Amino acid sequence: MRIRAGELAQTGMTDGSVDSKVSLQTSRFGVLEYREEEVINFPEGLLGFAQSTRFLVMPNPTGGPLMWLQSVEDGKLAFIIADPKLFLPDYRVEVSRQDQEALDLTESDEGKVYTIMVVPPKNPRAMTANLQGPIVINTNKRLGRQVVLTSGEYTINHRVFQD
Amino acid sequence: MLVLSRQINESIMIGDAIEVTIVDIKGDKVRLGIAAPRNVAVHRKEVFLAIQAENKRAAEEADVESLSNLGDLFGAPKSDKPD
Repeated sequence: MRIRAGELAQTGMTDGSVDSKVSLQTSRFGVLEYREEEVINFPEGLLGFAQSTRFLVMPNPTGGPLMWLQSVEDGKLAFIIADPKLFLPDYRVEVSRQDQEALDLTESDEGKVYTIMVVPPKNPRAMTANLQGPIVINTNKRLGRQVVLTSGEYTINHRVFQD
Repeated sequence: MLVLSRQINESIMIGDAIEVTIVDIKGDKVRLGIAAPRNVAVHRKEVFLAIQAENKRAAEEADVESLSNLGDLFGAPKSDKPD
């Protein structure tokens, strides 16, 4: 199964009927309120962070196209992520059979791809994207996984802006 | 470290769910076939370590301030323009 970056629809956050919010103290955003159904489960965590298995995908509070992957188990753990379509429209993720199974991803499910970004605070122009280890999310089932691409086509620190 | 000798098409079992088979040997290159449950991720070690390190770097450098300094790097502020 091939998923084109950002090709598939964003998850619709359902309207706020009777929902209970949970509060989370974070190091970056103060207190965040979220609903349980917004949480994406990463059963294996991320590489090097196997102990954090539940995350929120959220826009950057001060705007812009970059987003955050915030752990709901560790308020200090968050990653900057981006829709790779933003800077690399032709980026393709080949999801292996094993990853498809882990994500419970069938044709009827929506897969969404994000890349983890490193944005040097003093020189954001030097930001890099991890194209070899993207995040794939099954938005219907709220399952996520960091997949590792084996093609050798992509690097872990792709410069977004070439100087 | 446990060291075992195997020939082509022979396997070892790790627990009762992971099977590693020697598929081919050519010169100093060995091809392995790995059958593992879906919750066991299998990676080349150097790739695994590199992505692990990059994740750590990403988490350490993830700074709200730096996203406030993007300026117009991605062009005009985000809008819901159709693709």
